[in-house]
Formats: sequence, structure tokens, C-alpha cells
Amino acid sequence: MIKALKRELAALLDDPWQLALISYIPLISIIALWLLFSAGLPRQLPVAVVDLDNSQTSRALARQLQANPVTKPISYTGIPSAEAAMKQGEVYALLVLPYGLKRDLLTAKTPIIDIRYNSQFLLVGKLLSSQLQLSMADGLKPLGELKLLAAGVPMQRVAVNLSPVNSQTTALFNSNTNYVGFLVPPVLIALLQLVAMMVFANSLNRELRWNTTKQWYALGLWKVVAAKVLFYTPLVLLHGGFMLALIYLYLGLPIAGSIAVLLIAQTLMFLAVWLMVLTIFFALKDSARVISFCTAMFAPAFAFMGVTFPVHEMPVLAQWWRVIMPTSHYIETHIAVVSYGQGLIASLPQMASYWGFLLLLIPITILAKKGFAETEDTELITLAKEQ
Amino acid sequence: MSFLQLIWAEIKAVLADKTIVITVFGGVLFYSILYPLPYLNQVPTEQQVVVIDHDHSSLSRQLIRDANASPKIEVIALLGSIDEAKRWIETGRAHGLLVIPANFRRDLLLGTGVTLSYGGDASYFLIYSAVVEGLISAGLDVGKDIQRLGLLAKGNNASAVQQSLNVVKLNSIPAFNPSLGYTPYVVPGLFLLILHQTLLIGTGILGASQWKRQGYWRDVSPLKLICGRMAAFMLIYTLLSSYYVGYCYYWYDVSLQASLGQVGLLMLPFLLATSAAGIAFSSLFTRRDLPTQVLLLVSMPILFVSGFVWPLALIPDVVVAISQVVPAVPAIMAMLELNQMGASWQSIMPQWLQLWAMVAIYFGLAYWGVSKRLKADSLINGSS
Repeated sequence: MIKALKRELAALLDDPWQLALISYIPLISIIALWLLFSAGLPRQLPVAVVDLDNSQTSRALARQLQANPVTKPISYTGIPSAEAAMKQGEVYALLVLPYGLKRDLLTAKTPIIDIRYNSQFLLVGKLLSSQLQLSMADGLKPLGELKLLAAGVPMQRVAVNLSPVNSQTTALFNSNTNYVGFLVPPVLIALLQLVAMMVFANSLNRELRWNTTKQWYALGLWKVVAAKVLFYTPLVLLHGGFMLALIYLYLGLPIAGSIAVLLIAQTLMFLAVWLMVLTIFFALKDSARVISFCTAMFAPAFAFMGVTFPVHEMPVLAQWWRVIMPTSHYIETHIAVVSYGQGLIASLPQMASYWGFLLLLIPITILAKKGFAETEDTELITLAKEQ
Repeated sequence: MSFLQLIWAEIKAVLADKTIVITVFGGVLFYSILYPLPYLNQVPTEQQVVVIDHDHSSLSRQLIRDANASPKIEVIALLGSIDEAKRWIETGRAHGLLVIPANFRRDLLLGTGVTLSYGGDASYFLIYSAVVEGLISAGLDVGKDIQRLGLLAKGNNASAVQQSLNVVKLNSIPAFNPSLGYTPYVVPGLFLLILHQTLLIGTGILGASQWKRQGYWRDVSPLKLICGRMAAFMLIYTLLSSYYVGYCYYWYDVSLQASLGQVGLLMLPFLLATSAAGIAFSSLFTRRDLPTQVLLLVSMPILFVSGFVWPLALIPDVVVAISQVVPAVPAIMAMLELNQMGASWQSIMPQWLQLWAMVAIYFGLAYWGVSKRLKADSLINGSS
């Protein structure tokens, strides 16, 4: 076993790309992806305001948007120029304060304030729609109060009369609805799975590229596979640990449970990834094709995790595909531990959901027994050139 | 070797390479089904919510019925305590809760304010926003009913009551993606990225497997080789793009605002720049399994920096500036503006010209890289 492990170490040191993959590439990628979302809370999103009324009231309403941290109002003189800005993605929403707004309010007609939000950018659009409505409602409150006071409602009763039912909304488990806490972990987990896949596939492919499959069988097939698992699992786990440390220790995002449980869950996830890569490797036995096929399998993993789009709203076929992705098993444990503080004992049933991946051992054994055909022509030539 | 023969040789080389066929044709077809698959049902509806009713009055029951009538939520249980509700949410049986305080009805009728508490599991944003929107609108409806009753009881006439309840009408309407669907949101940008990445991988693998071997690519000048290769990939990708931008956009209900000519004019520099970039990129590799790995690692950052998933205004300027060298970044934004948001051709001119500039720059880089690669390796061949 020591011999097999030493062999892996020698192989790693000899391969600059593999070395990069287990050292700085994941670190750079993790930091780059975090940087993208580092703003966390959407703030100062540009909104076009067209004030056709130019009255005290309409200006007060427009100012209301300035007070809202999410919106940054930009004045446009006419609807066409505002529309053009919206079509070019310069502003994410358009608010039109109609001509005669103040007059209509005073003469007890119901004016209409138009809000158009860009739902092609769904996330921003939905956020702005609710924020703009909220701002307008707040801005109109003084008017309503004035009206009630004029109607002879006593001061103390005004607030209650305006809105008898107050609502208090609590975002459970992500209290300031921070996008870093929501988006970054699943994105990084998807990345981690890709890195893990590549590292393991490269390690297997190397046996093909250097035509060492005979040596492999001589050492014992399972022994070498075990050595690869023993060698690479801790290395990849280090990246997983770095990711968790960055998010929950350095950035200090709230975590209710323990990081140790997450690391155990990650270990199981990596073992599932290894099994899938082994199956594909023994089925295809060609380095470039193995990578292409694994890429096709794992690249869309993020969409299937069910964080951006709820799992129970996915079609059945998507739910089946989801079961094949190790990340979707892991993310459930991750969210339960981070949000609900789930302990190790409670996480065990979730971790057991990986058992299906063990079935892959059957095709792996069958395919591995077949052994390898003579190394392909192209590989030999590349090999000869590299030496 | 004539130019046409070269193009034919290129196409044959692509089709003979199983890995490239899997990536380019297989990948494009496979992803056109797999990526949008989770989002086919478009809008999250009927999120499970539990209710804690401390009031047990006719009005609290009406509120629960109102909430249940909202398409966004479904009340699945009445529970006794918040702790119990929390357990339901933690085990994934429910995603939100509504707490109706004791004396809810009495306080409302007496004219004292009441506070309803809502909670949603914010670990899942789409679910959270659906739950909150559904519950708030139910709460507002009940509030309005009470106000109306109060005003009518005071002897106001019905039309005046209507007026004082709705001082202003807020007319908030989604533009460009009117169904608020998830596939029309994700598909246009994502599919351009898939075309971009598979084209880069295809040219990358082709180059990586050729540099150290003998073949037709040594019989022509680097300039001719690059032109021939770009022409061959343009032919293949005209077909694949027609499938994506034509059929798939239509199939996934993406809004289509631009004319065929305009879309074609936009795709032209995008595909040219990408294939030139791919050829330049391919001169960095001699191992066939590496181009895929490198491009896989940058896929997610490119998707997020292209500006439709996450607002560009929030991404650090340095990152946005660096991303401008990737052909997919201006192309995705230009396509969204032109085809999905109906902007005029003039307004996407900056991106269009940027893409043409990329064609020139990447062509130059490709020429440099390929001639260096072929010269270096022919020296090795000569000496060995």
C-alpha cells in the first residue's frame, strides 16, 4: 500500500497541471466566485424615474426612492428615453409619475402610478418591483394621514386607521437575506465537485497516457484505486475545508451547526464522485473522452441543487437526474447543518442517501475485469513526443 | 491543397474525432435538454405553509382561507406552537409560517392595530419570496375588508369608501419576460455560453491533438490553416446556432424581438471571434484532455459576470473589466438587449464593434500561436 501511495505522489509531482489543480486553481476560483457575489445585498440599483407631474407631491415620491437603499433613481425627462435606457439594461426598472397626479389626489380621483420592471433579469426585477411598491406606499402615507386628519380622525387613531393589519416578516435562517449566504455556498460546492472530478479523472487518465495500466494491474487493481482514494480525498477535502472556513469563519456568515459534520458529508460526496468517475473511466478508457463525458455530467450540477429553483417544482425527470448528482445529496445536509443546526446523528439518514452510488461498484468491477485494450495510436505518439 | 479542400479536411478531422463529436454535437444537443430541465415548470407555486392560529375566530379562519386561495401558497397544517412549526420547516415539510395573534378579531373590530407575523425559509430565495408575497397579500386583503366594514358602518357611501381605500393605484408590470418564467430568464444567455464554450473546446482539442503530429495542417501556411479552420467551424456552428437561437429559443418561450437579419449580424462576429479565440487558445495545449478542464473551470465565472444572473452594478469593476476579453460577455448582453428586450440596433453597436475588434485581435493571436507551434514542432521532427 505504501508503494502504491508513493507511486501516486510521484505521479502528482510529475504533472504540473494536476499540481495546479490541487493547489492554487481551486483557491483562485473560490476567491473569484466569492468576489463576484461579494456585494451580498443588492444596493443602489438604477431605476428610471419619469416625473410628468412636476408637483410637490410627485417630487416627494421621487425622493422616497432616494431614501430606499436598494434603488438609485435616475431622472429622465420623457418616457421614450427612459424606455431606451431600460432596453439597454442601463436601468432595471421604470417608474412613471403621471401628469395630474397631485390634482387627481386632491380631487379624489384615483391616479395610476406605472411601474415597469425588467423581468428578463428576474432576480433584480422581482426585488425592484417589491421595493418600488414599498417606497410608493410609504411615500403616499403622509397624504393618507392628512386626509384622515382633515376628516376629523383623532391623531392617535390615524396610524391604525390607515393600516389596521401590520405585518412583521421574518426571514428564517438567513436573517438579512444576504445573497452571499444563499448563492455562494452552492456555487462553490458545484465548483468543488468539478475540481474533485478533474483531479480524480486526471489521476486515472495518467495511467492511460503513460501506458502504465499493466503496472497498475500488477500492483493490484483495487489497491491502486484505494491508494488514489486515500491520496486525493484528503487533498480535495482541504479545499472543501478552505471554502467552509472562508465563508463561515473568515466572512462570519451565520452557521448553526458544526463544520465537522459538513466535512464528513463532503467526504461522502467525494467518495460518490470517485465512484462515478471510475465508472465512466472504465467504460470509456480514453483520457479526453472521459473528461468530456464527466464534464457533461457534472457541469449543470448547480441548476439541479434546488437552491435557486425549488426541487418539488422540478419535473420528475429533473428530480431523477438530481439523484445522480452527489452535490444535490450534499447540499441538503449543508443547508440543514448551516441553517437548522442539524447535528451528526440527525444528518446520518441524509448521508445514507448516497448508498445508491455503491451500486456503481458492479459495473466498475465488470468493466475493470475486461482490462485495457492496446493503448491507442494517438496516445502512443503523444507519449513518444513527450519523452 | 485548395481552400475548399482544406475546409473539407477540417470538417473530416472534426467528425473523425470522437471526443470532439461528443463535446460539440453531443454537448450542444444534451445541454439543450438538460440545462432548462429543472426550470420547465417556470414559476414556483403552492409553497407549503403552516399556520399557528391563536385566535380561532371567524376572521382568523377567513384569513387562512384567503391565504390558501393565493396561488403562491398552500396551507398544509394548523399547528399549536412556533416550535412545532420550526420543526416542520427544518424537516422540509413546510417552507413558511403564519402566526395569527390571540384577540386578532376583537382588536381589529375595536380599532386597535394588530400585527401578523410571517416567516419564510430564506435558505431558498424563490420559495421565500413566493411565501412572503402570498402571505402579505392575504394579510392586506383582510385589513382592507376590516377598513371597508368600519367605514361603511360609519355611514360613508360605498364609492367613497372604495376611493379612500385605494388612494393611488400602483400598476406594477413585468417588462420583457411577461410570464416571469425561469426558462426565458435563463435560456438566452446560457445557450450562448454553451455555444461559446463548446466551440472553444472543439477547436482546443483539435489543435492540441494535431500540433505534435504530421498531417494536412503542415502542408498549408498558418494563415490559410486558421482561415480554413474558422470557415469549417463557422459552418458547423451556423447549424448549431440556428438550432439554439432559432428552434430552442422558440421552444422555451423566450421572447424574440429582433429580426432574423439582426440576430444573424450579431452572431457573425460572435462566432468568428470565438473560433479565432479557440484557435489561439488551442496553441497553448498539446494534451487533448486539458482544454475541456480549463474551460470548465471558467464557465461559471463567465456566466455570472455576463450580467443577467447577478447585476453588473454589484460586481467589482476590476472583475467586469477583465471579463470584457471573453467574447461571450458582450455577445450575451447584446443578444439580451436586441432580441429579448427589443433595443434598437444602434444601441448594441458598442458591443458589436467590440466583438469585431476581438475577431481582429484573436485572429492575430491565433496566427502568432499557430505559426510558433508548427515551427517549434517541425524543428523537433527535423532533429529526431
